[in-house]
Amino acid sequence: MRYEKPLPVINEDNAPYWEYARGHELRMQKCANCGHIRFPVSIVCPKCHSLETEWTRLSGKGRVYSYVIYHQAYHPAYKNDIPYAVAIIQLKEGPRMESNITGCRMEDIEIGMPVELYFDDVTEDVSLPKFKPAEGG
Amino acid sequence: MESMKDKAAIVGVGYTPQGKVPGRSSMSFHVEAARNAIKDAGLKIGQVDGLLMQPPMAAMGDFMVAPAYLAQKLGLRVRFMAAHDVWGASAGCMAQHAAWAVVHGLADYVVCTYGENALSGISEYGTALNGGGEYGMFGAVAGYALAARRGIHELGTGPETWKEIAMAVRKWANLNPAARYHDRPMSYEDYYNSRLVVEPFRLFDICLISDGGRAFIVTTAERAKDCKKKPVYIMGMGQDHSATNVPQATHLAGPIGAKVSGEEAYKMAGITRGDIDACEIYDCFTYTVEMTLSGYGFFALGEGKDFLKAERLAPGGDFPINTSGGQLSEAYFQGFTALIEAIVQLRGEAGKRQLGAVTKTKAPEIILVSHNGGVMQTHSTLILRR
Repeated sequence: MRYEKPLPVINEDNAPYWEYARGHELRMQKCANCGHIRFPVSIVCPKCHSLETEWTRLSGKGRVYSYVIYHQAYHPAYKNDIPYAVAIIQLKEGPRMESNITGCRMEDIEIGMPVELYFDDVTEDVSLPKFKPAEGG
Repeated sequence: MESMKDKAAIVGVGYTPQGKVPGRSSMSFHVEAARNAIKDAGLKIGQVDGLLMQPPMAAMGDFMVAPAYLAQKLGLRVRFMAAHDVWGASAGCMAQHAAWAVVHGLADYVVCTYGENALSGISEYGTALNGGGEYGMFGAVAGYALAARRGIHELGTGPETWKEIAMAVRKWANLNPAARYHDRPMSYEDYYNSRLVVEPFRLFDICLISDGGRAFIVTTAERAKDCKKKPVYIMGMGQDHSATNVPQATHLAGPIGAKVSGEEAYKMAGITRGDIDACEIYDCFTYTVEMTLSGYGFFALGEGKDFLKAERLAPGGDFPINTSGGQLSEAYFQGFTALIEAIVQLRGEAGKRQLGAVTKTKAPEIILVSHNGGVMQTHSTLILRR
């Protein structure tokens, strides 16, 4: 079946991020000078302006920082998904990212809830990092 | 910052047909609004020598929606011109930059414009504005709802506070014939019954999408005296743009840019918040109003539920806000909704919604105008007086 939801906008800057995701690794840029992990992808570290960077692998463990529930399908491909949850995840290593929370009832989601990463292979070329309640709470 | 207190004034405002106006280009709204502002100020076409334009959202990167084309269509030859995009804060930032320009001789009269066929044309407002479509994040509502949820968590705010804002603003709209909801009163029940769009927001927490345009003209206080209409003086101004990526932001539950830009504006104006007679606030969402008024020091973070009561904010109240109906209940023209309304109120041209005896409120001497953009990532404050 064809995947009809929007795909991430992959460009020259963020291609490595999505390439790692395709291999089921969540990696972000860590500044080789000051150690700050930045997100979204950028050529310089916003803390120290160093150009030196390494793609560090993250544990995928985190907590819900904030979340919302979509009750309206702004895109036809989401019609059967509502209500669905979009969240900001506070990752253990420091940065926060937007993603979805699945695998639980919407009313069970709360701020501070521990979550863990999984990859949703939506097409042959794209795997989306998503989150579900952490096993064992 | 050098004080700009009372050195510049706004001397003309321009409206266009608004609401649902099919068959019109975004550019046509810019042109018509600018034309009407020039007329309103009583200026000759040749006198206008500055132009700032906020490009419509859907035209980002569209070469044909550019200030030079706008100047061309208006028959203007200008010596100060730019496309001006600070997101929702643009209107206030434009007024500030135009004020600096006229005071320092870069131009004599600067026309500032906005226009978009956002309702009838190709609108970007419901799309994945900042990416995130892969997660089903559509519309500016995503980021603001994420912020509002933090607000609930950190400050104990929520719909019981936000309904007061929505109600008050609707009551103002009921007095404004141009407002989308002029003929539709609202009850608390209506608020709670409005559908959940992106929880925690209901439909009536969310601003409108509108066709139309607005414009205003800035000149020096000196030249303003010779214009057709009563000048509205810029007493104070400030900007604060955290610009932080939304997930990394630390301001989702405040304090937002209203705090720093507001303190700057109060200082320049030489006033305190007690001197403000009314506020025109960028009300893209009800929660934004709570964050903004708290930033300006009217109440501490978390005390919105005690301060924000519809009877205080509505006609007849002691703390009037968004007297046109705002973006929630009049029309959404980015920051131009709030700014133009402040000017019209200070001139005494607001008809049935006029602050003063007509609405059993205090006649306004000083109005605070607030604009924010992105997800409270950009912010501008203006303090205006008669």
